[in-house]
Amino acid sequence: MPGNRERMNPTTAPVASDLKTRLDPYMAIIGPLAMIVMILAFMAVMEPARYFRLSNLNIILLEAALYLPMAMAMTFVITQRGIDLSIGSIAALSGIIMAFLIKQFGFPAWIGVLCAISIGAGLGLVNGLVITKFRVPDLIGTLAMDLVYRGFALVLAKGLVLARFPDLITNIGRGRLDWFLPIPVTIGLLTMLAGYVLLRRTHFGRYSIAIGSNPEAAEMTGIAVERHRIYAYVLMGAMAGLAGVMLTGKLNAIQATSAPYFNLHVIAAVVVGGTSLFGGRASLIGSFAGVLLLSMMINALVTLRIEFFWQSVASGVVIIASVTLYTWLQRKDRDGARSLLAAARTPENRRLLRLSAAIVGAVTLLLALGWLLAGAPNPSG
Amino acid sequence: MMTDARPIVTMRGICKRFGGVAALTDVDLDAYSGEVLAVVGDNGAGKSTLIKILTGVYQPTSGTMEMDGRPFEMNSHSDAIARGIDAVYQTLALADHLDAAANVFLGNELTRRIAGVTLLDNQRMRSEAERVLFERIGVRLPDMNAATESLSGGQRQAIAIARAVYHTDLRVLVMDEPTAALGPQETERTLNLIATLKAQGLAIILISHSLDDVFAISDRVLVMRRGRRAGVVNTAESTRQDVLGLIVGGNDAW
Ligand SMILES: Nc1ncnc2c1ncn2[C@@H]1O[C@H](COP(=O)(O)OP(=O)(O)O)[C@@H](O)[C@H]1O
Ligand SMILES: [Mg+2]
Repeated sequence: MPGNRERMNPTTAPVASDLKTRLDPYMAIIGPLAMIVMILAFMAVMEPARYFRLSNLNIILLEAALYLPMAMAMTFVITQRGIDLSIGSIAALSGIIMAFLIKQFGFPAWIGVLCAISIGAGLGLVNGLVITKFRVPDLIGTLAMDLVYRGFALVLAKGLVLARFPDLITNIGRGRLDWFLPIPVTIGLLTMLAGYVLLRRTHFGRYSIAIGSNPEAAEMTGIAVERHRIYAYVLMGAMAGLAGVMLTGKLNAIQATSAPYFNLHVIAAVVVGGTSLFGGRASLIGSFAGVLLLSMMINALVTLRIEFFWQSVASGVVIIASVTLYTWLQRKDRDGARSLLAAARTPENRRLLRLSAAIVGAVTLLLALGWLLAGAPNPSG
Repeated sequence: MMTDARPIVTMRGICKRFGGVAALTDVDLDAYSGEVLAVVGDNGAGKSTLIKILTGVYQPTSGTMEMDGRPFEMNSHSDAIARGIDAVYQTLALADHLDAAANVFLGNELTRRIAGVTLLDNQRMRSEAERVLFERIGVRLPDMNAATESLSGGQRQAIAIARAVYHTDLRVLVMDEPTAALGPQETERTLNLIATLKAQGLAIILISHSLDDVFAISDRVLVMRRGRRAGVVNTAESTRQDVLGLIVGGNDAW
């Protein structure tokens, strides 16, 4: 077993590993902080007046608050080597059911809120059962359930926008305690704090790390692996339900197509924060910094009047970039890839280069051909 | 050599079939307190299957097991642990992102109730883990807070063993190829460690490919060949040639 042997090599340079172990706990926070500083510096040059306004800070915080509970829960899911691609739909569906209960059936607002969170938890439970009992891989399972939940939301709400909610809901979404932070920010920070206690001081947190770190070992030591995986999805669903409430309150409106980018956004925030997609490595403080970073980045895009749709591009690029970076940082022997040029010279990679060149060439050729043969433009609108 | 005349555990006439394959046929085994029993044999001879039956991971197709002279059956590895039989596997079952204490207590955490809520008692687990590692295994880790992935093979093995011996009622410890992935120094240290545990009165069952290790540490050698017990010899009274002969089985038609 080559993996084992590599891990057991006792002769790694003690100085380097010492520095690495001492830096390791801060790794998660250093990455996003560095990127936050970069954004701050960039915006200080580009748009200081509009970016560094107190009202803009408030916007950033409100945006971040919405994602904090979900990022907390997603940290557990990803630490267990799982993923949840259904949280946007869970948020929308929970929000819509809450809206109907309050507006159509006259439920008290507080019961509506608790219903949304419980329904979210229930949908998370369904995810967990699909993954553990039906043995559908998490990626496919939650992607399919995403379609199901979004479908139910559309069936329920059709094209309707449900708007104007009781004060309790709008307070949760955008209220402000006179003497303190905005209410959603307080909620977000409290869920993060609760997540920290969960991670460090409970069986669930400990087993989440163990399951992600070494699933076979976790099973062998008698840990109820399936149950704790289900717990993570239930927590995830509940927090997505809470986000549905917060979103409804923030906009004072909800519709079936709300929250389309929650999945990517939350996963990006967690991964940027140093929680490893390969499991076992959890950092809640990193997830917190990741959420803040993404909110600042998106706010910067808005401030620079860059089209909304670039958000999606930015989130995707951030995920790839940070996973690549962390994987590279955690590689045991980095001297194998001394130079990029040398790596490109291996026969295997040369074949890949040739393939890339062929595809780029083909596309270029087709574009040129189309250009030459082009007739009159034929606008679809 | 044998500090106790009566074995702790006996296995008699153990057979194990996987579908049509007879992995074990009519195997006997005795484990005595304060004794190291080495189990050797070629690849596929049935060593791992035999100890998996002893540790409750597999159930025998037929055959009986006795502990202190009383017959017993096991349905899972936790049954074995409850009876004082545990194993340290070839692939150490550590969660390498957790620290030493978390691994020693994995699945068995010490807790504390605070305001009606059960929380992990990380402090007590740390001090207990440190104590077990030092007092029973003689290992002091440079940093109890470090994730075990940053530790050496020998240290990680010490943690895996500490997990097994933490149960004060552990009586039989099975080790599957404990030195296979270690360098000479760490091997030396592991052999010393086995001697320490033996002196504490444990029955040690050591699966090994290394005849050096077997002759350095064991009291008896059980040789397996193609699912059968080819023989049991006293280490002090036999040579490597004897054992090798039993492993290869020179008289066979193939
Ligand atoms: N889970 C299993 N399913 C089917 N056959 C198995 C299984 N485990 C072991 N065997 C077979 O049993 C025999 C003994 O294997 P094993 O106990 O692993 O030998 P050893 O550990 O001595 O190398 C081999 O022929 C192997 O193929
Ligand atoms: Mg084996």
